[in-house]
Amino acid sequence: MDDIISVGRSNGKNGVRMVYLSSKSPSVPNLNEAFYGDFRRRISPERPQSHLSPTPLAEEQTNASLIDLYGDDENGKDENEPDDAEQEDGRNSELPVSPTLSPSVTTPAQGSNEEAPKDFSQYDRYGFKKQNAHITQEQYHEWWDEYSRYCIRRKRKWQDLLAKSGLALSDNDIPDRFPPRSEKLKRYVRKGIPAEWRGQAWWQFARGQEKLNRNKGVYDKLLASLNDRNDKVFSRDLEVIERDLHRTFPENIHFQKQPNDNEEPLMIQSLRRVLLAFSDYNPKIGYCQSMNFLAGLLLLFLDEEKTFWMLVIITSRYLPGVHNINLEGVNIDQGVLMLCVKEYLPDFWQRIVTKEQSRNYEFLYKLPPITLCTASWFMSCFVGIVPIETTLRIWDCLFYEESHVLFKMSLSILKICDQEVAAARRVMRNRVTNKDDSDIEIFQAIQSVPKKLLDPQTIFERVIFKRRLSLNNLNQEEIDRCRRYVSSQRLKLKNYADIMGDKPITKDSTKRDISIGPDFVENALSSEVYGFRRSLTTAHWNNSIKEKVRQIRRK
Amino acid sequence: MSGSRTGKSLTKYKIVFLGEQGVGKTSLITRFMYDTFDDHYQATIGIDFLSKTMYLDDKTIRLQLWDTAGQERFRSLIPSYIRDSHVAIVVYDVTSKKSFEYIDKWVEDVKAERGEENVVLCIVGNKNDLSDERQVSTEEGERKAQVLNATIFIETSTKAGFNVKNLFRKIAKTLPEFQKSDTVSLDDKASKSKPDVIDITTNNEDQEQSSCQC
Repeated sequence: MDDIISVGRSNGKNGVRMVYLSSKSPSVPNLNEAFYGDFRRRISPERPQSHLSPTPLAEEQTNASLIDLYGDDENGKDENEPDDAEQEDGRNSELPVSPTLSPSVTTPAQGSNEEAPKDFSQYDRYGFKKQNAHITQEQYHEWWDEYSRYCIRRKRKWQDLLAKSGLALSDNDIPDRFPPRSEKLKRYVRKGIPAEWRGQAWWQFARGQEKLNRNKGVYDKLLASLNDRNDKVFSRDLEVIERDLHRTFPENIHFQKQPNDNEEPLMIQSLRRVLLAFSDYNPKIGYCQSMNFLAGLLLLFLDEEKTFWMLVIITSRYLPGVHNINLEGVNIDQGVLMLCVKEYLPDFWQRIVTKEQSRNYEFLYKLPPITLCTASWFMSCFVGIVPIETTLRIWDCLFYEESHVLFKMSLSILKICDQEVAAARRVMRNRVTNKDDSDIEIFQAIQSVPKKLLDPQTIFERVIFKRRLSLNNLNQEEIDRCRRYVSSQRLKLKNYADIMGDKPITKDSTKRDISIGPDFVENALSSEVYGFRRSLTTAHWNNSIKEKVRQIRRK
Repeated sequence: MSGSRTGKSLTKYKIVFLGEQGVGKTSLITRFMYDTFDDHYQATIGIDFLSKTMYLDDKTIRLQLWDTAGQERFRSLIPSYIRDSHVAIVVYDVTSKKSFEYIDKWVEDVKAERGEENVVLCIVGNKNDLSDERQVSTEEGERKAQVLNATIFIETSTKAGFNVKNLFRKIAKTLPEFQKSDTVSLDDKASKSKPDVIDITTNNEDQEQSSCQC
């Protein structure tokens, strides 16, 4: 129990408890390291002196990991909640409390924490507000009751897996290493990495240490030279970053100014340094809005330097060119996504483009309007698009399986949106007949459906784990090939547009000017129509036959 | 200028919000839609879409509101579909000269897509409650609006809830549906039967706050 510090206040039914698990190894990232600030090993010229000498309490907490184990031990809970009982005394063994978690669970919440004037019960284990415009507190708790058990079950499975692989947990309950890549490990990752291991797992799967080893000391040098930079480009980035710092997770407790503290939150300071260092490191990108969310989320799981290198890895390996000043990578990826929608979600595809656009591949150059919504899914890797636990499950897969995950997840969400639209139509019994109404309906679904995906299982159970769905054949090789194709097609179409002017390629334009028309484009590009690799083991290659068979069976 | 109308359905108007990062576009929309204000909104990435039905003077129209990201590099992303709006609200922050200078670029984009005549251009100077930090005077704003041939110029404070309804009332008056009416008035009975409509005629606090289901 020595290494467990329990901070919180318990006053009867308003009992609130935050549990800090210690993590002694400074190399091991943990959930609140940045919050309580193990910043001493970060050399930063800009760091305010006051943070160098934390209070004795903070001293002890320096290496503490913040986990609100259940996040639901709060006021308003009914007396017959089994979870609460377990947290109070740890006796109720119905729920498989993992051995590493149980000591802290049994720690009685004692003493009052003057530094915690906020009602922590409103925040989840990462410091995000549970409730928002799309999710009520009740919905949250109903789901979390179930999901927290799932997390504990999965953690035990992980522990078994590690034990079998001969890997031990370090003192602080966090593995130093994870087993080598395998189908089994992939399955485990897809079912979710234990929250407190995420930082370490992501770091390993994304091969962060290799990157860092090749660049030892670079981050510190970047920080040290920040003050010397005063050119125009950099000062522009600086200004944009500064404006976004407080607009990054304003609802997250770690990013908020604490009432008793006049200093800027440590998290904001770290975020500033990471983003500034990055804009200096990669001038092709500088700073692009959405990177604040990427870095912000990373900082909740990794230390500053690792966050920096993960940001480098995300923006170069997973999302090449996406954050560049001209955002061409965004356009390419959205073109790829549209090709995938055309291939894997043909019904949905028909709703978002006209036949004409679909036929002549013009959509690769003039992307359908929904892509401005979906572009942000990629730029921020779903941070702020879907609720946090769902985001984290996507990130688990992203770092293990690379960028095709983002396409697969996007397709999954679009599929769910499509189902929701169809269901709503059935309920309303209104047949949307005109394009305008249908557009609005789809935009609305794309905006709101993802925000309600509180339960990560929705995406995974409804789409990702369904092997028979053709979109699950999508792999990294396909996406890489697709990206190359879209990139070259966009260049060609751009050249075409440059020659022909910015006239839309439609039948109307054919009438007006015989020399331009769909045939022209089609002829120019027909030899290079993209073909997806289709696996013969599944029968998706002939959807119409499949559908007919289904109809016969139904009869 | 006219909205798109098909069959029996409502006339729809696209309204796009443009302007530098952090000037208060999201805040303006939130104030209009829900009459609430937060000190910090999350930065908007890409685009946000909201739709609202407005019932006025016996007529119902549907507004599509498009909230965009402010950083310059996102300008190229905003597709013609959205630039092709009936109303463009270009927002600047009265405490930031830079954001004021940037409105030229946004207006340029709108005009390139829509032409001079076909768009209701609104120039909005937001954060006018921060009088100590003001860098752009009301006169400067008015002058610029004139030069840019804007239909509407107004200063607002989304924090104080100042002039936001007024802005939308002015916009409504420019739409063909309401041009004949001297006062844009709201039919009370109708508004009660339709909880998700926006009352833009009165300044009462009990504005309908239900989320949009239209």
